[in-house]
Amino acid sequence: MSRSPLRRSLATPVLLGLILVAFALVAWAVGSKPFNQTIIDIFLKVIFAVGLWVFIGNSGVISFGHIAFACLGGYVAAWTTIKPMMKGISMPGLPDWLMQTEIPYWAAAAVGAGWAAVWALIFGAVLMRLSGIAASIATFAMLAMVNSIYSNWDSVTAATSSVVGIPIVRSVWPYLIAAILAVVLGWAYGISRHGLALRAARDEPTAAAASGVNIPRMRLIAFVVSGAIMGMGGALYAHSIGIVTPDTFYLGLTFITLSMLVVGGMGSLSGAVLGVLFLSSLIQGLRWLEAGVQVGTSTFALPGGVQEIALGAVMILILMFRPAGIMGNRELTLPRAGSDTPGRSGPTN
Amino acid sequence: MGSLLQIVFDALSLGSLYALGALGIALIFGVMRLVNFAHGDVIAACVFALLWPSVDAVAIVFAGNLPWFLLIPFVLAVGAGLSVLSELVVFRRFRRANPATMMIASFGLGFVIRYFLLMLFSSRPKSISLLPTLSQPVEILGARIPLLQLITILVTVAVLFGLTAFLRRTRFGLEMRAAAENFTMARMLGVRANRVIMGAFALSGALAAAIALILGSQTGTANIMMGANVMLMAFIATVIGGMGSLAGAVLAGFLLGTVATVMQVILPPDARAFRDAFVYGAVILVLIFRPQGLLSARGTKERV
Amino acid sequence: MSLLALSNVSVRYGRLTAVRGVTFTLAEGEILFITGPNGAGKSSLLRAIAGVAPPAGGRVDFADHDITGQAPEDIARLGLSMVPEGRDVFGSLTIEENLMVGTGMHSATRGWKARAASELEAVYATFPILKERRHTQAGLLSGGQQQMLVIGRALMTTPRLVAIDEPSLGLAPNITDQVYERLIALRAERKLTLLIVEQSSTRAMMVGGRMMLMRGGEIVLDGDARALGQSEAMQAAYFGYGEH
Repeated sequence: MSRSPLRRSLATPVLLGLILVAFALVAWAVGSKPFNQTIIDIFLKVIFAVGLWVFIGNSGVISFGHIAFACLGGYVAAWTTIKPMMKGISMPGLPDWLMQTEIPYWAAAAVGAGWAAVWALIFGAVLMRLSGIAASIATFAMLAMVNSIYSNWDSVTAATSSVVGIPIVRSVWPYLIAAILAVVLGWAYGISRHGLALRAARDEPTAAAASGVNIPRMRLIAFVVSGAIMGMGGALYAHSIGIVTPDTFYLGLTFITLSMLVVGGMGSLSGAVLGVLFLSSLIQGLRWLEAGVQVGTSTFALPGGVQEIALGAVMILILMFRPAGIMGNRELTLPRAGSDTPGRSGPTN
Repeated sequence: MGSLLQIVFDALSLGSLYALGALGIALIFGVMRLVNFAHGDVIAACVFALLWPSVDAVAIVFAGNLPWFLLIPFVLAVGAGLSVLSELVVFRRFRRANPATMMIASFGLGFVIRYFLLMLFSSRPKSISLLPTLSQPVEILGARIPLLQLITILVTVAVLFGLTAFLRRTRFGLEMRAAAENFTMARMLGVRANRVIMGAFALSGALAAAIALILGSQTGTANIMMGANVMLMAFIATVIGGMGSLAGAVLAGFLLGTVATVMQVILPPDARAFRDAFVYGAVILVLIFRPQGLLSARGTKERV
Repeated sequence: MSLLALSNVSVRYGRLTAVRGVTFTLAEGEILFITGPNGAGKSSLLRAIAGVAPPAGGRVDFADHDITGQAPEDIARLGLSMVPEGRDVFGSLTIEENLMVGTGMHSATRGWKARAASELEAVYATFPILKERRHTQAGLLSGGQQQMLVIGRALMTTPRLVAIDEPSLGLAPNITDQVYERLIALRAERKLTLLIVEQSSTRAMMVGGRMMLMRGGEIVLDGDARALGQSEAMQAAYFGYGEH
């Protein structure tokens, strides 16, 4: 064998990174503002899908609650980057030191990641003792709990009203860097000792437990890493649109990010990224149709809601006919030179 | 005395909603290990069945004009029909899939139903007047109890008795209980899998419709999100009750209703807005100490 | 005319082949023991016949129907009743409810309720302990009582063929005797065909009838139980002597 396993697996983040760079270059070359925003949105979804994958893909436990961490991150951006005067009006209950804080967006993303990781550790310490369906429903309860608190804590979150005045970052590059960072983090976690142990426990729980793998602890590590990635994504999401509300980070975003992960394939990092790219293209096409297309003299427009219906339908169909997603548990790698089994590695779709 | 009685009625009527919801979820989980996330959207769809599709702000009443003795069967039929349809179109193809895959598929289906409603009716809540006479209060032992609350509780008790009798006394109920415990064995005794599962979906859908009638009368609005909260509490109730245990689901539903009502009373006024957050927190705590649920079902333990 | 005919049936679990190319026929009223060591594929073969684990290849015919890959309930409705290993009682149902589950398959025919009631009495006559505890939850029964219950439950469907996986597993010998006595009597009464899986050939030799030996997913011997049981070929085949 000419390549070491590490070098071979290194091909995955490199290839995925190159795809993302290509998207950024296209956005830069086109130079259209709406298109730029679309690419930014794709990068954000990549961050979320990778964050989800770190936990769901490696542990096999379905989480409906990760968008709660994005919510935590998003509000960190609101708390730390809005001008103090504006904060005083919309969120008068913030402590003085936080009220006076005004940090750049990238620092807010880092703080958001840290804040989300802290809460992932706290929630995870409790939730990771559960498994299977009970764990999934408990993550759902966690999402509802965070949403309920942020929707009602008027003085520090402005309750359900929009918090405005978050500095908007329109350049595509920071989002590209963050998405690549998420991919590299996800990859590094996946090949780490913890990632391997967790996947072993996912596939052979009894054998893993017998060989001394502390499953709840392994899950907790994945939960914290994924929570941090979601927190970073949430903060950047806030900077991409300039406002946050609790419902920005609730069931809708949970559904979209989860369907992207499912369609790409929960079993691989490449699946998470490619699922985003695939479904984002579909959403973009449908958005275009919803806005109306000139056909001859008449305008043809799809009614609102078709986007989500199509997304749901694609998700269900994929689950029906290809439950392992587009990537079918495989990673994107370079074809192995001189190998006589080319079918095992390399993209098939 | 009067206020205590009021609390009891509040707890029982809220618990009734959660219990009916939990029952609808546990029925389906029992026979096919499906956690049906589309249940809440079936509830919402039943409310919208009263209206004629339109995206205008003013609701155009359709079935809502029917007299109550036609209206109630109509809504129940809509719920049962939609639920059976979801089984025929979607879940039937997941018979050999694992529970996690089915759960995500149901999550996707829920969104499809929700956005279908959005497409037909828009996302604006619409006011409806469903069984308006029920909002009058009645006086019981010095407490003024809304008639609707009383009816909610009575209806729930009647449903529970009816369902118990159905499960215990009818051939279909026997087959359903057998299938819930060991599906393959039941099939080897000639129990038709598809018929039992369809029956479970029909019952579950009718229960969703019952919730829709109660919620619609209580709130006087139709909203595409209206099933979400009840559904979440119902899920939690099924987990606490021990997945698949019908009695456990009902008891846990009433327990949750009681906890929520009591919290509403004892929490300081500032914290009341966070009532649901406290309830979720309490539930997570319960699950640490009893991961199998408070009342775990004997038959399901070794298989899940 | 054979009641059950298997031709070249194989069963696979993933990459593992549990049964390979099994062919045999079973005539109405016949009694067939399938014996063999652990992991020989006996239970897998029964599961394939009953439709629980559809065969990966080959064909199964029962009562002039091709039942290959049919649903378990449809096979049961043709009169093939399977009693799986491990006494799968419905633990939360009472004994009587357990017994009644299978009678629903005849609900389309007239007078089925009366027939079910008389079947119930017949099962109770065979296993009086079941009648005594008829309203007890089946989960509370002892192992022997549960074994009686599952056999009684299979008989309640008035089958033409009963396939039983290890009826003597975990039972006291005198209880096993009772179970077999009743099965043999039933066979005489209504031409019931029996397909019984047992790990050892002892019981087959006592009861008589036909016996097949399975090893490694294949049938290696087929013949009269008593004659085979005493032969050296049986010993050799069972333990795999003479192979490498």
